[in-house]
Amino acid sequence: MALLSISGLVAGYGGITAVKGIDLAVEQGEIVTLIGSNGAGKSTTLRAISGLVRPRRGAISFSGQPITSLLPHKIVALGISQVPEGRGIFHRLTVRENLDMGAFQRRDREVGADMERVFALFPRLKERAGQTGGTLSGGEQQMLAIGRAMMARPKLLLLDEPSMGLSPILVETIFETVTNIRAQGTTILLVEQNAAMALEVADRGYVIESGVISLHGTGAELARDDSVRKAYLGEA
Amino acid sequence: MPGTVRRATWDRVPAGLRSLAWLALSLSVLVIPVFDDTWVRMFFLVGLYVVLGMGLNVVVGFAGLLDLGYVAFFAAGAYMVGIWSSPVSPAVDTSLSFWLILPLALVVGAVVGVLLGMPVLPLRGDYLAIVTLGFGEIVRILVVNMTNVTNGSQGLYNIPRPDIAYREVDNVQAFYVMIVLAAFGTWFVTTRLRDSRIGRAWEAIREDEDVAGAMGINTTKYKLMAFAIGASVGALGGAIYAPFITFISPESFTLLVSINVLALVIIGGMGSTQGVVAGSLILIGIPELLQFSETRDALEQMGWARDGLNGAIHAFNTVTTADVSDLPPADEWGEKLAVYRFIVFGALLVVVMVLRPMGLFPSRRRTLEFEYPPEAEVAGGGGGS
Repeated sequence: MALLSISGLVAGYGGITAVKGIDLAVEQGEIVTLIGSNGAGKSTTLRAISGLVRPRRGAISFSGQPITSLLPHKIVALGISQVPEGRGIFHRLTVRENLDMGAFQRRDREVGADMERVFALFPRLKERAGQTGGTLSGGEQQMLAIGRAMMARPKLLLLDEPSMGLSPILVETIFETVTNIRAQGTTILLVEQNAAMALEVADRGYVIESGVISLHGTGAELARDDSVRKAYLGEA
Repeated sequence: MPGTVRRATWDRVPAGLRSLAWLALSLSVLVIPVFDDTWVRMFFLVGLYVVLGMGLNVVVGFAGLLDLGYVAFFAAGAYMVGIWSSPVSPAVDTSLSFWLILPLALVVGAVVGVLLGMPVLPLRGDYLAIVTLGFGEIVRILVVNMTNVTNGSQGLYNIPRPDIAYREVDNVQAFYVMIVLAAFGTWFVTTRLRDSRIGRAWEAIREDEDVAGAMGINTTKYKLMAFAIGASVGALGGAIYAPFITFISPESFTLLVSINVLALVIIGGMGSTQGVVAGSLILIGIPELLQFSETRDALEQMGWARDGLNGAIHAFNTVTTADVSDLPPADEWGEKLAVYRFIVFGALLVVVMVLRPMGLFPSRRRTLEFEYPPEAEVAGGGGGS
């Protein structure tokens, strides 16, 4: 049984239907990527999973339990955390306070230990622990957003365009971290426009076009696919 | 160093000296009852607005929900006491003890807060402000029209004074002590809440409601909680105000009350308790003060100040070829000042906001909001760390 499975998902905002009936599954321990161009429906899919957008039709289940239309905080409680598009850092809170917010639902005593783990993953954040989020660079903010999501101890981590606005070297670092996080046992669903990087780290990938899944395969398969190379990898 | 907070002037005063100053100020409230009744009355009103300001601070300062209809909760508390104890109350024949009504008023206030909060849950910022502004007016109009409960625009009068030890409290000093106790109680509860898990949720919601939801914060629950607590404190103020003034009518609960409370919160520095105290002293204390005969007399002795101002006016007239007339003669200008006190007061507000845009005693967060406005922060997206 898949950790996350989506069937026939239709979702959108107001008069716009951004996602028009997609099926998608993520197995325990996988990195799965959802690639597509601007406005293809990637973020809407993620927002539907985390409950920030109410699906119009279709079903989403997590570890066999239906989560369609659950409220966001209930979904977080089940073990799904999101790194929102544009990072969503609390600009006026310090790095430490941002990380604390990620652990909002937890009442155990290991929050401090987990924060040290995040600092070990991103030593940069430790140096900046007392600084406010708004003073961090783009790359540091992305690290903070990922670290904050990890503070909830998720079973499934949703990443919405972590490479957005970052230099190639930083993108490399972020994707390395993604692989590390998976190695520590967290399943990952990664939404990206940067198809080359995403397919390199992903076990499997889906290509979404105008709200519909147009292709599906292993990361390597998709990276070799002619239409993918043309449309997303910038080859003639 | 980047990211460290530029400290406000007051924060540069050594911590020991600061706490000593606050302690002295806190103790000074105990001295006030020995003054003349007019003074105690003035400080009662200041205290009342401190309570209201701390209540609104929970909604606006902590949770970031701009509420322009706060008067509704003040009215709810006052009318709870009026309806259940005034002899002219049309719906209720008996007159209950103030001490019995008070806790009920707090509960009713919280319920009204939740009821008015629910329909505005999806609204943010300006839209929330407009709708809550409407709610404030709706509540006032309801009070005017529900004549069989509220006695309409005639109001409820002869509201009995509370008993303490079987004796009716009829002096302003006792009311002053009551409002001081209420203020300390409110201060204790709201600061404890601010520093709790609930306060953290409010902070996240104020910063970014969407992300707060994604962090697993039940935004509906915590927003309603802020409305309920703020409203309950508003009702507390109203419940103490009703027997103090003994007569309440819809005219006591206009938009001006909401605006005054919001203004004092902003002038003082949003989210800060010291700010609420300073704001009330200025916004409520000064207009009252300008009406005192002592003030009038003192001003009349200050002919030099009048001459100085006249000199400035002459200079202004020469430079700009304007024709501003002289101030009234010294034996009249005190009286005139009392009449035009709201102009003086308005000018004072402008001065404060120009000199200290984040308020007199800004909370740490508020300072940061001015240091790093949200629009400026996103810019650093493209590039290295």
